[in-house]
Amino acid sequence: MNSDPPFSRSASPQTRSRRREEAHLEKSEIRNPKSEINQSLVTSAATKEGFLREPPRLAIPASRRDFLWRVGGGLGGIALAHLLGEQGLLADSTPTRPRPDFDGGLHHRAKVKRVIQLFMNGGASQCDTFDYKPELIKRSGEKFDSGLTATATGVPGNLMKSPWEWKQHGQCGRWVSSVFPNIAARVDDLAFLMAMASKTNVHGPGVYLQNTGFVMPGFPCLGAWISYALGSLSENLPAFVVIPDSRGLPYNSTGSFASSFLPVLHQGLVIKPSAPNPIADLHPPETAKFVTKASEEEGLALLTKMNLEHAAQWPGDSRLEARIASYELAARMQLSAPEALDLSGETETTRELYGLDEKVTEDFGRNCLVARRLLERGVRFVQVWSGTAGATGNWDNHSDVGKELEFIARRTDKPAAGLVKDLKARGLLKDTLVIWTTEFGRMPFSQGSKGRDHNGGTFVTWLAGAGIKPGVTYGESDAVSFKAAANRTYCYDLHATILHLLGIDHEKLTFRHNGTDRRLTDVHGRVIKEILIGS
Amino acid sequence: MRRQPDMNQPCCEVPIRRKFWDSDFAPWLVDAALSWLLIAVEPLAFADSSVADSWWSLQPLQTRKLPAVENTAWPRTPVDRFILAKLQEQNLAPAPEADKSTLLRRVTFDLTGLPPTPEELQGFLADPSAGAYEKVVDRLLNNPRYGERWARHWLDVVHYADTHGHDQDRPRTNSWPYRDYVVRAFNEDKPYAHFVEEQLAGDVLYPGDPNGVIATGFIATGPWDESSQMHIMADTVDKKIAQNLDRDDIVTTAMSTFVSSTVHCARCHDHKFDPISQREYYGLQAVFAGVDRTDRPFDWDAQIHRERQMLLKTKTAIEVRRMSLANTRLDAEIEEALAAGQAAWEARIGEAAPIWTVLDPESFTSRSGATIAKQPDLSLLVSGTKPEIDSCTIVARPGLSEITAIRLEVLPDDSLPQKGPGRQDNGNFHLSEFQVKAGSLSEPGKLAVIELRNATADFNQKDWEIAKAVDGKTNTAWGIHPEVGKSHVAVFECKQRLNLASGERLTFVLEQLHGRSHLLGRFRLSVTAAPWPVRADPLPENIARIAGLARGDRTKEEQEQLTAHYQTISPELQRLLDEIDEKLAKLPKPNLVYAAAHDFKPQGKFTPAKVPRPIYVLGRGEVTRPGQPVLPGTISCVAGLPSSLEIENLNDEASRRAALAKWITDPRNGLTWRSIVNRVWHYHFGRGIVDTPNDFGRMGSGPTHPELLDWLAIFFRDRGGSLKKLHRLLVTSAVYRQSSQHDPKFAKIDSDNRFLWRMNRSRLDAESLRDAILCITGKLDLKMGGHPVKQFHFEDPDPGVTPKVDYGRFDVDSPESYRRSVYRWIFRTLPDPFMEAMDCPDSSLLAPTRNSSVTALQALAMLNNRFIVRQSEHFAERLRRSRDGLVGQIELAYELAFGRRPTAQEAKELAGYAQRHDLPNACRLILNSSEFAFVN
Repeated sequence: MNSDPPFSRSASPQTRSRRREEAHLEKSEIRNPKSEINQSLVTSAATKEGFLREPPRLAIPASRRDFLWRVGGGLGGIALAHLLGEQGLLADSTPTRPRPDFDGGLHHRAKVKRVIQLFMNGGASQCDTFDYKPELIKRSGEKFDSGLTATATGVPGNLMKSPWEWKQHGQCGRWVSSVFPNIAARVDDLAFLMAMASKTNVHGPGVYLQNTGFVMPGFPCLGAWISYALGSLSENLPAFVVIPDSRGLPYNSTGSFASSFLPVLHQGLVIKPSAPNPIADLHPPETAKFVTKASEEEGLALLTKMNLEHAAQWPGDSRLEARIASYELAARMQLSAPEALDLSGETETTRELYGLDEKVTEDFGRNCLVARRLLERGVRFVQVWSGTAGATGNWDNHSDVGKELEFIARRTDKPAAGLVKDLKARGLLKDTLVIWTTEFGRMPFSQGSKGRDHNGGTFVTWLAGAGIKPGVTYGESDAVSFKAAANRTYCYDLHATILHLLGIDHEKLTFRHNGTDRRLTDVHGRVIKEILIGS
Repeated sequence: MRRQPDMNQPCCEVPIRRKFWDSDFAPWLVDAALSWLLIAVEPLAFADSSVADSWWSLQPLQTRKLPAVENTAWPRTPVDRFILAKLQEQNLAPAPEADKSTLLRRVTFDLTGLPPTPEELQGFLADPSAGAYEKVVDRLLNNPRYGERWARHWLDVVHYADTHGHDQDRPRTNSWPYRDYVVRAFNEDKPYAHFVEEQLAGDVLYPGDPNGVIATGFIATGPWDESSQMHIMADTVDKKIAQNLDRDDIVTTAMSTFVSSTVHCARCHDHKFDPISQREYYGLQAVFAGVDRTDRPFDWDAQIHRERQMLLKTKTAIEVRRMSLANTRLDAEIEEALAAGQAAWEARIGEAAPIWTVLDPESFTSRSGATIAKQPDLSLLVSGTKPEIDSCTIVARPGLSEITAIRLEVLPDDSLPQKGPGRQDNGNFHLSEFQVKAGSLSEPGKLAVIELRNATADFNQKDWEIAKAVDGKTNTAWGIHPEVGKSHVAVFECKQRLNLASGERLTFVLEQLHGRSHLLGRFRLSVTAAPWPVRADPLPENIARIAGLARGDRTKEEQEQLTAHYQTISPELQRLLDEIDEKLAKLPKPNLVYAAAHDFKPQGKFTPAKVPRPIYVLGRGEVTRPGQPVLPGTISCVAGLPSSLEIENLNDEASRRAALAKWITDPRNGLTWRSIVNRVWHYHFGRGIVDTPNDFGRMGSGPTHPELLDWLAIFFRDRGGSLKKLHRLLVTSAVYRQSSQHDPKFAKIDSDNRFLWRMNRSRLDAESLRDAILCITGKLDLKMGGHPVKQFHFEDPDPGVTPKVDYGRFDVDSPESYRRSVYRWIFRTLPDPFMEAMDCPDSSLLAPTRNSSVTALQALAMLNNRFIVRQSEHFAERLRRSRDGLVGQIELAYELAFGRRPTAQEAKELAGYAQRHDLPNACRLILNSSEFAFVN
């Protein structure tokens, strides 16, 4: 199992819990600085940030927590750490903060600095896309003994081959159906998990599981854990951004982007690039005629003055300084966020690459392109969703796979492939991880006459980018793509692998909640070394 | 073939090894570890792990003497003696008393969640009497705003919301009566034991009181996996997981809320830190094994309430008896009738089957124009045009003067695909609705619909059962796939004996609306006058065998089996149910509350338990690994309390809950009384004496003032569990009245202020902030209770998916916007971004404490959210209405928002800004200021 001793060896549960709370500025009062303010450290932290730079590297004394205590009284010390979401790691007595000598990793060298996840909401069919099974084609129309009398929402029908043609692609010879012509052209960049499995066949629990590691609501998602662990690479943008399908939210709405018991700072910031106001409350509403540029400038200055005077009356309450800093950060975000979302500077070639020139791919393409721009500007984790909740317009193809999958696959194929190509061309793929996944797969037999029901038994995820062996596959489903047959993986393994690439040991990233040290991977998880370079 | 992967959720990570490493733990842990190892090999190789434990929270409450203190002038209450003694011990001293205006703002926010008005401030400042502050406290405790404020705390703890929280996250439209109940309970100062008992088992412990039903909304407050419960087939692993996790939420909520215990950590294995076995955990699941969450009726009129609840209870008892699920005793009279009915039935079984009279159709038509031909055996054969859907109408002479049941035979024929009996390519059909009418042919408008029931068939396609042909729903139907190519029969009993005069006719309508030509191919109709029960399904083999024996030759068990079977078809019980339904129909329409229920009308694939479901210890918490069955029970580690629950009738699920409720409210249960006083302390002082209010175990924090905690618990328990008395004690204490001024000297000793050498400052929580803004702008609507107010734009075009909720399009000047935040519609997966930014907790999460974070998004929300921006204008308007001149207006703004007058410099600066950029901009700054956001 785990070779590293858990941190509890060095601290009793009570001490740990207290430390954690100290670290979060969450209780009604934050403790007082233990010693004098070290203003120079603060300044260095605040000014070092920039495009694709390291997180603030502070001259770190013995422990991060001590350091923050020392600077705690100064504007920007605790405040900045807090706002950048780094404070979570102070919880442990072990030096678990992003370490320069680990390339920004917490527990070991990081290969990945930022992650983009494309999530296909609804259960993308493996047996119509990547899981080629000659047996299924041969036996199509035959009865199949699945051992099931009922599937999630219906009754098992006969085996049904995919309506699409299959061909081998690339040097690696990966089989891909004709529904994904563009992704097929990139298979040599991708590593495939061919036998992922889910513990549920139901959308709500399934989407929760793939995002949080639990089938019920109330747990933080992957992005929130990454934000908690590593913070943002940018001073002006949050660590974790979610771009939903512009037609609507996925199953569980925003429940799957929640920070849950982690501080709210770590929840996914929802950005809707095609909406009139892509980020809620970024600017005053247009109806507020009394707000002008001049009133904002003078107002913010006066507010800072009022708040400074107030803070001066209440020494020892660092929340007041953090609050002042938060307004400054907000002002910076007002400038930086619109710039990140502005695609006017992108070349025609790039726009075409993402399919912005075509109606069908425009939406997902724009979201992928915005995601790339956000990653470039320091966001750690961007999750781009395809498919909304509801019976149609997503990957939940119950009645006619041919028609329904065609619709949603075409919207995403070119943009997803374009994203990988673009990141590669820009050299970003060297330290960026791309993941394409879904909540479960679909049955190899029919539901009704042409549909497929939910199948947690096997589905496909692919990864590309830093640390990933391109062109490999891991895992195999059975002869007809009904169940994972060999080297089955779960979300825990995928999550453990993602954290591993980010320099995080998934067993050491914990948070105490209601009596339990919670982990993203619960009691499970194995880093899938078979798809990683050099391990 | 591989099985489905196991589908469960072990909960927490602690390698076994760690326990052995960790010398901090008491020796019992070794036992627990060994037990754990055993269980890993073979679930339940060991019995109850009741181990004496010295952990502080498990000890009986001890009467504590007030400690001696040097500074006798400072303490105002016994509480202060405990605090002062600890301060002395640590070389700390209390801060001076806060000034009157600080005190008023503090206690008003604390008790009512709103700021004091300038008039209240003037009044308090002008009252020099010794008891002026106490008067304020009493006034606030008697203000209904108090109940609203403290109900919101309680709703945090129990994770209340107005939607289900999973998947499509559909609205839960009737949870609000529970919310209103909590507000009332606080305002009425309901004794705490009563409050606890009502929420767990009010329906059984306080049967005459509608509050008893409403309060069980507590059990149902958490998220509910609607998609698994409603749409997933029964008995699938997914369904069992959903039910297991549903009970887990109930157990977790109950035990965290009332006894601050983390029993949920023992779902997959024995608790790793506290002496709670996995078996005890499942014993607690068994307490709730008979309930689900759904709407439940109640009546405000006590008499009607009693009557309805009694009828519903009897109805369930009869239904349970009918399902032969449990041996419920019914009235003697009923028992007699039942016995007589059974004797007659037994006598009849040996005889020939009912005599059926085949009807000779006089007319038969297909709506779509298919050809129907009468066959020599009087059956009807359909041919010709084959539409997607169809409806056949057949008229026939009744054949008998008295009819008790109707039979429909579907017959094979060589002309049909797969020989039928249906016309679909696979030989199947779907009979959507089967309707019978009677009456004179001369008056076709006056045909009476014959009510049918107890529909049975010799074969039902899975999920296409015969009952669906008479359920009034056209999207469900009877089918017989894959048993095609042979004849099948369905029988429908008439609800009432049918007597038809000569000249009257029977009209049958056979709707076949499924589509894709799922049509009947050949069928025949018959009637009988045989006494009920008349069934199409044959007697189960075993029952037929027993029935074949003479009564004296049957064993006791065999006779019982026969009785059990008869009860499932007894017309006597059916008649009783009819009578109850008639009585219920006469009662006025009930109110509904989303609460715990063990019986309700099935919704989709969500069906009631009626009697408790069996509970097993699940290996690794997985439903696919059931071990030994468990009976209802509770944790055994509380010193001085029995671990077993006394339950008279295990089949009566409510008595299980009642037993747990009584165990919790036992005066000897130290966990309960410590837990609640600690929660109250937490909300008053910003941190509990134990600062993990939901965890009094080893993974939680220990108490900073254990003696005080016990003293308070006893004080509270012995004064009738009055929360108002407790509040009064705490907020009139010297420790509460301290200034929150910093002291660097003391901070060096106790940087955390755990010993309370000053008062803690708190940031307004999301609701207080929002309500305070409405209050100072004069827009707050104090209307109490009722349906939750949607503070978002709402459209719900499709009941199958999440409603469209748009906070950006909400009219922030609508009446909904002005209500107190406790009355908001709380959408679990679409929470209000503004409130969320202010640390309003995830409503799927038990939230015993709130975070107080600082983020850039919070700053943006405070600056730019439409509510804030609009309220800035309202604030300005109010100031202009009240005062002339900018300086005067700024002065009033300070009084309203900060509870103080501005300095000349402050007034001048802000007035200058208002002069240049208008008053609403100045108001927006005030709302954004730290002084407004914090309470000193």
